[in-house]
Amino acid sequence: MAPNATPAKRPRLAAVVTAIKRHLHPQHIVDRFLDGYGWNGVYHHPQMDLVSLYVDQHGEGDLTHERAARHPSLKICPTIEEAVTLGTSKLAVDGVVVVAEHGVYPLSPDGIMMRPHYEFFEKITNVFRSSGRSVPYFNDKELSWNWDWSKKMVDVTHELNFPFQGGSSLAVTWRIPSVEFPTGVVVKEALSVGYGPMASYDFHGLETIQCMVERRKGGESGVEWVQTFRKDAFWKAYEDKVWSHELMRAALSRSFTIRPGDKSFTNDLPTVEHMKAMVPDPVAYHYRHRDGLLSTMILLYGMVYDFTFAAHIEGQSKPFSTQMYLPMPDGRTTLASFFSPLVNNAEKMFLTGKAQYPVERTLLTSGLLIAGVQSDKNNARIETPNLAAVQYQPYPDSTYWRS
Amino acid sequence: MLTRRLFMRNSALSSSLLVVPEWARSALSQQRKVSSNPLRLAILGSTYRLGSHMQTIADRFLIGYPFDGDWHIPNIKVVSMYVDEHARRVDAGPNPFLLSMSGQRRSNPAAAWPEGDLSQARAKQFGFRLCNDFPEALRVGDDRLAVDAVLTIIEQCDPYPYQTNDRGQLLLPRFDFFEQCTQVFETEKKAVPYFNHKQLSYSFAEGRTMVETAERLKMPLMSGSSLPVTWRLPAVDIPHGAAVSEAVMVGVGHRDDTDFDALEAMQSMLERRKGGETGVKAVQMLEGDDVWAASRAGRWSKDLLSSALSRSDTTMGLTVLDGRNQDLVQDHLLEQLVKDPAAYCIEYTDGTRATLLMLDGAVQDFNISVRLCDQKLVSTQFLLPFPPNEASSCCLVSKLEDLYETRTAPSPVHRALLATGMLEACFKSRQHFGERIETPHLNIRYQAPAESQFIQI
Repeated sequence: MAPNATPAKRPRLAAVVTAIKRHLHPQHIVDRFLDGYGWNGVYHHPQMDLVSLYVDQHGEGDLTHERAARHPSLKICPTIEEAVTLGTSKLAVDGVVVVAEHGVYPLSPDGIMMRPHYEFFEKITNVFRSSGRSVPYFNDKELSWNWDWSKKMVDVTHELNFPFQGGSSLAVTWRIPSVEFPTGVVVKEALSVGYGPMASYDFHGLETIQCMVERRKGGESGVEWVQTFRKDAFWKAYEDKVWSHELMRAALSRSFTIRPGDKSFTNDLPTVEHMKAMVPDPVAYHYRHRDGLLSTMILLYGMVYDFTFAAHIEGQSKPFSTQMYLPMPDGRTTLASFFSPLVNNAEKMFLTGKAQYPVERTLLTSGLLIAGVQSDKNNARIETPNLAAVQYQPYPDSTYWRS
Repeated sequence: MLTRRLFMRNSALSSSLLVVPEWARSALSQQRKVSSNPLRLAILGSTYRLGSHMQTIADRFLIGYPFDGDWHIPNIKVVSMYVDEHARRVDAGPNPFLLSMSGQRRSNPAAAWPEGDLSQARAKQFGFRLCNDFPEALRVGDDRLAVDAVLTIIEQCDPYPYQTNDRGQLLLPRFDFFEQCTQVFETEKKAVPYFNHKQLSYSFAEGRTMVETAERLKMPLMSGSSLPVTWRLPAVDIPHGAAVSEAVMVGVGHRDDTDFDALEAMQSMLERRKGGETGVKAVQMLEGDDVWAASRAGRWSKDLLSSALSRSDTTMGLTVLDGRNQDLVQDHLLEQLVKDPAAYCIEYTDGTRATLLMLDGAVQDFNISVRLCDQKLVSTQFLLPFPPNEASSCCLVSKLEDLYETRTAPSPVHRALLATGMLEACFKSRQHFGERIETPHLNIRYQAPAESQFIQI
């Protein structure tokens, strides 16, 4: 029995995921519900039970049956409907955990992997409708690769009136230093520097920016246009100072993983020539919010291996900056602990029935990813009236990891 | 007239600019405005190779480092350097006098610089003087003291190793470096701030002499590792003046190496307890199965160990195999994972108990949990970001800048002295097969600053 279990009624959860293999998002998230994790200085066991699991893809390295064997109360279900009804005709769980990251799915015409966030959502909400009842819904990472579906997902949450939260762990992980973005300030420019490929890690960079700038004066006003710079166009934009060099320096100064430009040093500030040599495919999504804020999501894959943020706040002489700390299990750590605050915030939603942060954040970042990829394909700035309409207010409480 | 030194100083300025890219220059030029009168620093170390402590720390004074959201350039100029590996190789070579008397040619001194050593390249690029001895380094070739600050980084040098004693302690010449420097200070009747990396010495007696000498010469002395000052996850400390009953620290690494860092980091929290530091009355070092026996006997609190481990990002065993989270204190997992455990049991004079457990094989990071007398636990991870950047040393270097600029050590040197003594006493216990050793000589009293000194920016 879990040490901190209580006899009070424990929510029962269904998990619907793409694939459970070592270091895939579903493994990190499902395991934390099943086995617990370190939290607040104790080994924490969620006050809820994962009772059913649907896994879309199996194959080599599949851990589904090992987990089921160790947790006999977990029922492996052949369909999503069965996972959420537990074989009855109606919704039979108190919450749904959807992890549609990873797995192998076809690419869209724009080159985004068509992961089944929406398909899972539709099947689950069909059960909500037919049961006349809805429950809190956690959705890892983006909403959908398709904007219309992303928008529809949010519309359905409003229609059926259930708490829905998702997004990236970047928004909730440790920050170094441990600082929150001030509310109600005027922000002129913001950027993130991260790593990884487009149509994947760009989402993390976008959430890094958005979880901060949404707290500015007036809240989020929506995004008017997006322009992607890549490869030579990136360096040209850099030299033209399309984004602030001071902010880029501030963000990079928060990094723990700058690959040395001069090989005889271990921590230098690379020159442009060094950066060009280290980063074969630099990416920037540069976008303008309706209130005038300019944001730039930068990926310098090959030069850094972390995510950092910097912004110019009106009235402050030096940039605001921090690192969204990812203890990655790529040799640096084993546990991918940044999933712990993601799961902990989901637990809070399941226990309170209230989303811990706005789903509009994730709607906007999902749309920005799609627009960024589209702009790259068109090789032109694209207007984004759909994103201009995503306007929302931040939640007052901080939700990043700091205890 | 353009003297050599003037030329070197000018060329240092221009060549140091070469490694700071154009896009960082704006900040650099701001720095230069205030750096018209930089402090002059002598760096004395064992070995200047890529990845050494000396290289990681010394380079930050040459090319700056990332700190507080900017690429920070210290207002400090490195003017001289002494590298012990080079000096020892020269000393070990043929005597030049005997060579000349026997008609043989003197060997080229440059050949004595080992392959992979960075000293000459750095000296050329940044225009500092490479010195053959300590007086030369402190006088920079002149006849009077010509530095404002001293940085010593003494570490094992694998290609040309220092010896160990019969207790397994590495005989690093930290005391010798200090003594030779203070001889110059005594002669000059002037002492400058001095930093000694990690423990003061392998010998507590030598360490105490260093502290006493520094007090006598009114010489600001600081000693320690990056671990007490690095970022913490979460950014917490023991409330100043809080009553503490017990602490469990978990660490990894080699004996007589990172165990010091762990003891020092633990001490940096415990010294804040009610009544301040009053010293250590006994220690005991256990290894192997004795550790598990002591654990079963309740020598340290299981919940504190679990709490410390809950802060780890690096549990091993099945986590490595399939990514799962594990509560390592359950089901004898530690005994399965850790082949060579060690427990450093510390009994403080005021009754506080502390245990450092070195658990290689179970985790790969440094974590602590402390029980306050109101039963509340304070737990955290001392973050050590990975090489090559090793960002934790930025935290240490920022403290060195404080030391040099204010001529006041930001943290009490008695912390390092006590940790030096704890470690030596633990090695004595180990030599006596884990016997409990009374340590009346560790009756070290000091007060910690009320403000936490670890980096939170």
